[in-house]
Amino acid sequence: MTATHITGGCQCGAVRYALEQEPQNVHVCHCRMCQKAVGGPFAVICPVLKPAFKVTRGTISYFMSSDVGRRGFCSACGTPLTFDYPDGDDVGVLVGTLDEPDHAPPVIQYGNESRVAWYSGLTQLPGDHPTYAGNPEMSHRIGSTNHQHPDHDTEAWPPA
Amino acid sequence: MSEVRLTGGCQCGAVRYALHEQPTNPHICHCRMCQKAFGSFFAPLTGVPLDKFELTRGELAIFRSSDPTERGFCRNCGTPLTFHDVGRPRIAVSIGSLDRPADIMPRLQFGNESRVPWFAELTALPGDTTSEQDDPDLTAKIAATNHQHPDHDTEAWPPAEGFAP
Repeated sequence: MTATHITGGCQCGAVRYALEQEPQNVHVCHCRMCQKAVGGPFAVICPVLKPAFKVTRGTISYFMSSDVGRRGFCSACGTPLTFDYPDGDDVGVLVGTLDEPDHAPPVIQYGNESRVAWYSGLTQLPGDHPTYAGNPEMSHRIGSTNHQHPDHDTEAWPPA
Repeated sequence: MSEVRLTGGCQCGAVRYALHEQPTNPHICHCRMCQKAFGSFFAPLTGVPLDKFELTRGELAIFRSSDPTERGFCRNCGTPLTFHDVGRPRIAVSIGSLDRPADIMPRLQFGNESRVPWFAELTALPGDTTSEQDDPDLTAKIAATNHQHPDHDTEAWPPAEGFAP
């Protein structure tokens, strides 16, 4: 049996991590603290047991959002990376930081007291175009100078 | 006519901003760069002309995700705050960092090449409980020591008397 090895990290690549367990109970959390921490209408959290979470590059910075919970992020690029209770058994990584976020569909939602009223309409929004489909010049400028870490581990980053 | 003023900021309150015009083009962007920058399935953004965006406390930290683009965040707590194409006269803020995110409904989606395949099922997920219903003790502990900046401007932050013990 192959050992589980799921990788991820921040946008700039200063922080990289690996999960040695499939995330359990992947969930959407609408609570106002998750909203503000990620700048979005909700956070999507992928929990694993703490021994199965390894930081493989760099150091996670933490903000104690309360005395009992903390939020890990990259201080070089700001990407929200983790949520955990220091006294708890698991740590949740933020789904978008996984190299393959497609593989962690959420199964339940929490924090519904703060769910935005327009949540139910979110999936029906118009628009089906790829990025800068109408602006190939901008698409090229971004693509040719993309400073985002690739969606796989690298020996060194930024590239020599 | 009263002046438009929408406020927002990061989770810890080190960075606060005000928009002096009703923001336009509220949208979600699924592109892989927005996904990773926000740690999520998409970035929710809405924009104003640069001269209608005012930093009212602290400074934005900037990550240049590509040469044309600056992503602003709080160095102290990580909250993704802004998106700005250098040279364009507009800046977008993250809808979740607004003090009243429920007021700004996205109207369009972009970056659909990276949209997660089960996006359409997202809003049909089970679960309708509140944090308090799920775990009243934990919710009370969090509320008693909440270090998140309140959803309105403050004279000073953190509070001079410190956080509740």
